[in-house]
Amino acid sequence: MKIGIVLPEAPGYSETFFNSKIRGLIESGFEVIVFSGSRESEKYNFEHSGAYPVYKGKKLKQLLLTLFVVSFTFLKQPGRVIRLYKLERKSDRSLSQSIKSIYFNSHILQRNIDWLHFGFATMSLNRENVAKAIGAKMGVSFRGYDINIYPLKNPGCYELLWKNVDKVHSISNYLYEKALSLGLRDNIGKEIISPAIDFSVFKAKADLGKIKFPLQILTVGRLNWIKDYETALSAMKILKEKEVNFTYSIIGEGSELERLRFAVYQMKLENKVHFMGKLAHNEINRKMTESDIYLQTSMQEGFCVSVLEAQATGLLCVVSNADGLKENVIDNQTGFIVEKRNPGKFADKIIEIMKMTDEERMQIAINARNRVEQDFKIEDQKIKFKIFFGDQIDR
Amino acid sequence: MKVAVYSGNIPSTTFIEILIEGLSNAGFEIYLFGKKTKDVKYNSNVRVFPTPEAGSKLFLFTLKESLKLLLRNPKNFSKILKKIYSKKNEFRSFVRDAGLILPIINNTPDIFHMQWAKVIQRYPELFELLDCKFALSLRGAHINYSPLNDAKLANAYKKYFPLINGFHAVSENISKEAEKYGAERKKIKVIHSSVKSDLLKKESISYANEDILKIISIGRFHWKKGYHYALDAMKALKDESINFEFTIVAQGEMPEEIVFMINDYQLSEHVKIINGLPYESLIDKLCKSHILILPSVEEGIANVVLEAMAAGVPVLTTDCGGMDEVVTDKLNGYIIPVRDPEMIVRKIKEFIDSSDETKNKIKSNARTVIQKDFSREKQIREFREFYESMSAG
Repeated sequence: MKIGIVLPEAPGYSETFFNSKIRGLIESGFEVIVFSGSRESEKYNFEHSGAYPVYKGKKLKQLLLTLFVVSFTFLKQPGRVIRLYKLERKSDRSLSQSIKSIYFNSHILQRNIDWLHFGFATMSLNRENVAKAIGAKMGVSFRGYDINIYPLKNPGCYELLWKNVDKVHSISNYLYEKALSLGLRDNIGKEIISPAIDFSVFKAKADLGKIKFPLQILTVGRLNWIKDYETALSAMKILKEKEVNFTYSIIGEGSELERLRFAVYQMKLENKVHFMGKLAHNEINRKMTESDIYLQTSMQEGFCVSVLEAQATGLLCVVSNADGLKENVIDNQTGFIVEKRNPGKFADKIIEIMKMTDEERMQIAINARNRVEQDFKIEDQKIKFKIFFGDQIDR
Repeated sequence: MKVAVYSGNIPSTTFIEILIEGLSNAGFEIYLFGKKTKDVKYNSNVRVFPTPEAGSKLFLFTLKESLKLLLRNPKNFSKILKKIYSKKNEFRSFVRDAGLILPIINNTPDIFHMQWAKVIQRYPELFELLDCKFALSLRGAHINYSPLNDAKLANAYKKYFPLINGFHAVSENISKEAEKYGAERKKIKVIHSSVKSDLLKKESISYANEDILKIISIGRFHWKKGYHYALDAMKALKDESINFEFTIVAQGEMPEEIVFMINDYQLSEHVKIINGLPYESLIDKLCKSHILILPSVEEGIANVVLEAMAAGVPVLTTDCGGMDEVVTDKLNGYIIPVRDPEMIVRKIKEFIDSSDETKNKIKSNARTVIQKDFSREKQIREFREFYESMSAG
């Protein structure tokens, strides 16, 4: 059985999440091809095919290429091209939109696959009819952004997806419920498969439960509003005012560095806060083993792998009550959950943790690691994905 | 005296256009350089030297300006062109840069007044090529946070600030920030912006206890405006069952963050977004509000607060930038720390609970401050002093 996975970009060497998933599928006996937005032929450990390019502002070049690619695809797969065209027209898409759709999906139309799986719900937009056109089943994975944010600005964007999809994968129960509220029918097949941890990479830190001074606080994640670093920084300001001896490190890059640098400056935290930029996975793991507390103030999360990794390392996790995080951490057992956008409560919780005994903290860290080991094994993830794609659905 | 008011665009932002109008009314000869995007009717003593945007028009313009330079200054002709060319060593950017720089050289003013600090980084060669005095305005983001995240910009400031003859600071606060990059205190003059006097005659509504409290914020969508903190406060007001309506008048696309928060806090019944308004309707909308809030984390001095105070609309502002140079808590408005939604809630309640007498007192005190310290006349008088002391020095 062959699975085509549609992603914005082919996962680079360092992106363990997709790589491990793809590797898992191959090990389970599936053939895998990744469809991405770029035609660059880098070396991947899987088959890869890129979409044809879009030239903005070069209309003639685009027109000629579109004509060529569409004709070429038609000669190769006339039935599929005609089917896609008909389906697009039936979905109320204009003539030119339908032609464009053939162009954008040419690289998929030319391949023989049994499953067409979209790595993000947003990746399926304008490709909703492709699986049907090539006679494959259609699957989709939900991320937090897909379900929580994108539809707010684009109401009704998934109507056609809901109509055509055969099976959905959600990383948390919460996201699945939210998708139902957006119009997904509950008779569509589903699997909740949360992210998993590779324990060969995430070793537990030494001295579980012990903390040191300055207290090392850490967050890993893109610098954008969703993560609400401003709340984290305001909490750090309170800690500083209460004369707590700490440093706060943020690993990640993103569009809001200027906003956050200004907040650090305004709150006079230059000596306390360190922006470490993007780091490789093994370096993140090393930094985690050197830290005491992992902080996640997010406004919204689908699930959040970093919090899982921090628990696997044995860090004391303080996370917001954003929906996905509530499935990730069990309050007072594997970590601590605090009301989002409330810097005072985050600061209080960190102080509370400092006042706990080593034994109390160790118990939390052990609980966290045990739970991750128990419930978020990479082997289990592999099996669940095997079931996801292997489970036959009548066409 | 010939003053070039340089922002790079013709017309420029509202407050720069106001400055141009005021200075030309006061008899200054004003030169405007840069890209022209729209026709504007200026006084006859405003001379416009627009540079075409691109293409053959730009090429011919640059050629014409080069010939002018050759006729006027044959001795330094090749030196000047070489200097501009050496910036990028590339013909296209040479045509573009020369198209912007040559008209300034061919029509050198007495004072070249840069409205934005970043101009320094873009055209440092002007200091060498122009034989005139240089003035620089210290405004908002260009001083307050851009250089924090841009070491190259910070270094350009440190290198070229000593070459500036006079700095115009929009607030005391920003002059202190600029000193960190080497702006000399004695060269800085604080000149506050101003509001139209006819606003002082506007009638605005008053709040009575059974009313729906009408709260308004005005300003583009940008993180520095702190709308996310305002929404935290609105959620708390809703949770306390306070009857209110919050209107944001902003330009541009609503950021995901704001869309998400309105949805997450279930505020869609309480929050109205208006995508920009023409000036007259904006003032009208303002006067039909009970209180204006400015939740910003960074500002020079926000004009919208001055306008609200002039129009008799009570203001609640954070103490960012130079806002405390205008607003004194409970005297002529309300002022609170930045990034503190709880304080927004507390002050709104304080406003609701205040007596009519207090409300009226705050209103009239606000108008007095505006009349006294933020009038057009005062602003233009101070600019005159600023330019005169520069050309004397």
